[in-house]
Amino acid sequence: MEAAMQDPAIRITGMNKFYGQFHALQDIDLKVERGEKIVICGPSGSGKSTLIRCINRLEEHQSGTIEVMGTSLDDNVDHIDEIRREAGMVFQNFNLFPHMSVLDNCTLAPVLVRKTPRAEAEETAMRYLERVKIPEQAHKFPGELSGGQQQRVAIARALCMNPEIMLFDEPTSALDPEMISEVLEVMVGLAKEGMTMVCVTHEMGFARQVADRVIFMADGRIVEEAPPENFFNNPQNERTKTFIGQVMGH
Amino acid sequence: MSVPSPAEISRQPFPKLLKDRYFATRIDTIVTVTFGLLTLWLLWSFFEWAVLHAYVDPEDRDACVQSEGACWAVITARWRIVLFGLYPFEEQWRSALACLAIVLTTILSCLPSFWTALRLSLLWIVGFAAFYILMRGGILGLAPVSERDWGGLALTLFIFAAVVLIGMPLSIVFALLRRSNLPWISRTMGLVIDTIRSLPLLTIMFAFAVVIPFATPDWMNGQQLYRVIVGYAIFFACYQAEIIRGGIQSLPAGQEEAAKALGLGYWQRVGYIILPQAFRNALPPTINQVVITFKETSLVTIIGFFDILASGRAASGTGEWSFATIEVYVFVAFIFFVFVFSLSRYGAYLERRLGVGTR
Repeated sequence: MEAAMQDPAIRITGMNKFYGQFHALQDIDLKVERGEKIVICGPSGSGKSTLIRCINRLEEHQSGTIEVMGTSLDDNVDHIDEIRREAGMVFQNFNLFPHMSVLDNCTLAPVLVRKTPRAEAEETAMRYLERVKIPEQAHKFPGELSGGQQQRVAIARALCMNPEIMLFDEPTSALDPEMISEVLEVMVGLAKEGMTMVCVTHEMGFARQVADRVIFMADGRIVEEAPPENFFNNPQNERTKTFIGQVMGH
Repeated sequence: MSVPSPAEISRQPFPKLLKDRYFATRIDTIVTVTFGLLTLWLLWSFFEWAVLHAYVDPEDRDACVQSEGACWAVITARWRIVLFGLYPFEEQWRSALACLAIVLTTILSCLPSFWTALRLSLLWIVGFAAFYILMRGGILGLAPVSERDWGGLALTLFIFAAVVLIGMPLSIVFALLRRSNLPWISRTMGLVIDTIRSLPLLTIMFAFAVVIPFATPDWMNGQQLYRVIVGYAIFFACYQAEIIRGGIQSLPAGQEEAAKALGLGYWQRVGYIILPQAFRNALPPTINQVVITFKETSLVTIIGFFDILASGRAASGTGEWSFATIEVYVFVAFIFFVFVFSLSRYGAYLERRLGVGTR
């Protein structure tokens, strides 16, 4: 247990990912400590989403190692399951299950995967739905909710598994502008409570507010890595400067 | 001039509604009158044939022959052959009860309160057991009746229910294998499906009924009827597998990814996320397939089984009633209609209930 506590939340070393001939991720090294909040940004096609999707094996990497909470991500199915239980994920398109009520969306995995008794799982689900401020929608279906509400349900659904790490893959990119803040608010709250978070996002305000480190990616590589203050005010790499100029310029 | 919406039209008083819908322009009026008269004439001709000039009493056989009307006398005289085929006359009440058992089981399994795997399996085990005991006999003091002598409606319903019940789970297995990540599994399954689909159903039935016994050991062969059912079920499964695969492929990739990210295993993803949505998407073509399957049970005549259509032909096959084939076919068609139309309406109910096309 002592040794396990010292493991970082995520440790990626020398990781490479190919799509056929295309070298999507090149020699990625990344360490995320427990409780740390990381924001990954970069132009589209730079590999941000691919990187975050490799962490829970939605994409398979070809070389290098990935460890999540001390468990190494390899072809062992038990390891993959273990990591997926510990890493919650929120998607750009919410991906709620449309044929289940909001409450069932939230209790499904705890009941099936964690074997939590249903009553207890529902209690937990209601607690998290209250936390994302939509307990009154528990018995509606995802199709009846707005985008912002759906994304908050998706966050609650991931939290119901009681994960150690939360992965956010552009959680606000598919939202109408007026709904972005309600989702960011939930994420900021989560960050304040000490959740380990890895967020792919273009919300630079969010990055400034909560990130311990900002990581800039281009062409499948990590180009720059710095605390937000330095990252925004004193970027080193030319591509980072251009990117920040574009993002801040509008 | 603005065209009133359908909702507006249906709120109008009746005569106005009639005028707006059918007599709005000169062409509308001509079309309405022409087709109205044609329909009336057809209906009247049928009514004249089926009711006014019809004979029902078997004693009136000779009058029938002369008459222009329908000779329902053939049905009153020989309905038991149509419904029960070659089943021994004294035992036909058993065949009737067996039909009832299948119909009842089907109706019960259409009720949402029976929609758990356990309840459905129990229900159908009981349903088929009841059918088999009643039809086959040999226990409980019932005289044994060989499968060769089963016939009529009971045989049609039995083949249909058995084919769908064996074929549906099989089709799910086929669809999942077809989508396997291992190329040699998915390609082999694809090849099997494509091969079976390119053969006529008749050939498949014939192969299972007649050819297979030469190739397999005796203990595997069983009764011809069951072999035909197995062959038909595999045929059904190949078509249905492609329908289900279509349903699965219409799901956004994010659905499976979200389930994976939550830690759900393969069977949990398939059972709770993929199949329920795939079935909902695939409901209209599934109903289509089930309806076709019901009607194509008639092909078993080729192997020499007396399904309801063949029994009907037998009923008018004697010299005495050979002039009345149309009446028998109309009667058989009516029975098919009752079953198939009910299936379709049930399908429509399911679509509404599951909200197909709405998210």
